[in-house]
Amino acid sequence: MVELTRVYHFSAAHRLTSAALSPEQNATLYGDCHRPHGHNYYLEVTVAGRPDPTTGMAVDLVRLDGAVSGAVLTQVDHRALEEVPALSGIVTTGESLARAFWRILAPALPAGALKRVTVVETAKNRFHYEGGEA
Amino acid sequence: MSDGLAYSTRRFTFSAAHRYWVDEWSPAENERVFGRLTVVHGHTYTLDLTIRGPIDPQTGMVLDLGELKRVVGETVVERFDHADLCADPLFRGRVPTTENLAVVVWELLVPKLGAERLWQVRVWEDPTLYVDYRGA
Repeated sequence: MVELTRVYHFSAAHRLTSAALSPEQNATLYGDCHRPHGHNYYLEVTVAGRPDPTTGMAVDLVRLDGAVSGAVLTQVDHRALEEVPALSGIVTTGESLARAFWRILAPALPAGALKRVTVVETAKNRFHYEGGEA
Repeated sequence: MSDGLAYSTRRFTFSAAHRYWVDEWSPAENERVFGRLTVVHGHTYTLDLTIRGPIDPQTGMVLDLGELKRVVGETVVERFDHADLCADPLFRGRVPTTENLAVVVWELLVPKLGAERLWQVRVWEDPTLYVDYRGA
C-alpha cells in the first residue's frame, strides 16, 4: 500500500466567530483571529492504494485534481470562508476546515481511498483529519 | 524504563528522466490514459528516507547518517541520478510512476538497511506531489 499526497493551494479570508457566543465573548476567545483576515492556505490530500500492476498508478491524478479542484478549490479560493455555502455554520478553524474538506472529498473519491486531509494555515499551524466517523 | 524508538530522516535528491508507457498498449491507448506523461520528461526528485531504531547509548545515534549517506548514494542516487528510469531493468514492464519509484527505492534499500531500520521512503516528484511507502 502506498500513500500519495498532493499539495494544493488557495487563498481565502476568514474570521473566527461562534454564533453561540456574544461579540465580547468571541473577541475574548478568539483574540486577533475574530477580526477579518486571510491566509495563503495549503491543502494536502492523501490517498492510499496499491499501484495498478499495468499503469503503476495507485490513483489517477487527473481525477484527483479534478475532484479537489471542483469540490473544494473553486469553492474557497479568493473568497471569504464564512460565505461559502459548503462551510455554512462552521467556525473556520484549521481543524474544522480539515474535517469539512474530508466530508466533501470522501464521497468524491473512490470508496475508501481518502486517507488524510491536511490544512496548512500558516508555516506554524497545520491541522489534519483522518475520518473515523461512525 | 526501556527506551522507545527514534526516527531519523535524511534528504537526498536526484534528477532523472522518464515517461509513462505500456508496451502492450497502442500509442493511442497510451495517450488516452497517460496524456502528456507519454512524452519523455524529467524531474529533480527529492527522497526523504526515514530510519528508526533505538538510540545507541554510546554514540547517541540511531544510525550513522554518514553511513546512511554512503549506502543510499551507492544504491539509489548513483543509479538514478542523471539517468533514464525507463532504461533501468527495475522498470522493465513497470511504469516509472512516483508510486512505483517509492516501491523500487524501498526494495533496493531493505537488503542494505534491514526492514527493522528502514521505516519510510518518501519520494517527492515535485513540491506538489509525494508518495510514502513503508513496505507491504
